[in-house]
Amino acid sequence: MQKTTHFGFKDIATEDKQDMVRGVFDSVANKYDLMNDVLSFGAHRLWKHYAINVANVKTGDKVLDIAGGTGDLARAFAQKVGDSGQVVLTDINAAMLNEGRKNLIDKGTCGVQFVQLNGEQIAFADNSFDCVSIAFGLRNVTDKQQCINEMHRVLKPGGCLLILEFSKTDNALLEKFYDFYSFKVMPELGKIIANDEESYRYLAESIRKHPDQETLKKMVLDAQFALCEYHNLSGGIVALHKGIKAQ
Amino acid sequence: MKEVVLERALNFLLQDGKFDVRPLDGKTLHFSMLDFPLDANFICTNNRIFVSKDAPQNIDVDIKLKASVFLALLQGGDLTELLRQDEIIINGDVKSAQLLVDLLQQVPLDLEELLSVWIGDIGAHQLVKLARKLKATERPISAIKDKISNFLIAPSRHS
Repeated sequence: MQKTTHFGFKDIATEDKQDMVRGVFDSVANKYDLMNDVLSFGAHRLWKHYAINVANVKTGDKVLDIAGGTGDLARAFAQKVGDSGQVVLTDINAAMLNEGRKNLIDKGTCGVQFVQLNGEQIAFADNSFDCVSIAFGLRNVTDKQQCINEMHRVLKPGGCLLILEFSKTDNALLEKFYDFYSFKVMPELGKIIANDEESYRYLAESIRKHPDQETLKKMVLDAQFALCEYHNLSGGIVALHKGIKAQ
Repeated sequence: MKEVVLERALNFLLQDGKFDVRPLDGKTLHFSMLDFPLDANFICTNNRIFVSKDAPQNIDVDIKLKASVFLALLQGGDLTELLRQDEIIINGDVKSAQLLVDLLQQVPLDLEELLSVWIGDIGAHQLVKLARKLKATERPISAIKDKISNFLIAPSRHS
């Protein structure tokens, strides 16, 4: 029997998801930052800033940013680790990685390495990084558990995993507003600004299909992390999961 | 959120290189208050410290104490003296506990402000006041010795 997974609210063959997600991000890559600012009212910058602060990254550290897209986190990490450290920005999507490279060059950030890779098969040796992050990328990965397992593998013992992702709010009123905004306003804005309604409908749907805070925490612990805790941001619309690899 | 603030402050001290936490590497220290629903885990790894509400499976040093004693410690109280007075219960390596306490004592935190979030302004003020009293009386023997010495050196001041 054919294995299926979800693509937004649709059920599709597992092997098709990667290409379909690639199609979405090829389409939105050049307007990605602008759309993030418009759709989140700039809040995505605060969420990322919070993640950077929680990461506990120091001068000389090695950091891997999975699905790093346009490079917001990589730029902040590069400032933290300094010249003696190393930041690797990765994305499965070449268009997003190119946007990231352009962004970092425009903003004068040097020393970041760019690698096109799939988060389910991270092409780095075991125990290589002090910190591995994935921001707003995990929900697009076909096999999320495999991706978390891989991030665990490449982390050094005692290293820190950060997963910043949309999640579930437990405030009923906020949830109603959020549903209306996601399914009615977001696709319309996508149509007006990026001329792409369908991609933004997928983004809203993929958020609803993503595991909630406790489920994701369990997945992190299942990957043999010694500890996992999460911080709800903006009433749980976004959650930051932090895992520590056992020593 | 409070854990993040404390974690940032601790690691700022470490980044400065003023403190060597290598002896704590790979250890998890758990602080819990006997009279207050407040727990914190200090996970020391790769020359940095993570502060978390959640505890990993293996805890190396378990420190139980009253909230006022914890505050007294943070305000510079002597761990050995408080241990002698049975104000603190430590399961595990006392040296590690001492090292973490030394580090915590250097964190510039407004404890009253921090506590007021949980127990209100009045409660926080009373607790900090109690901690100050405790810290002042934590060396009863040394205090008596000091008083006697002062009296012997300058008896006229005490008459």
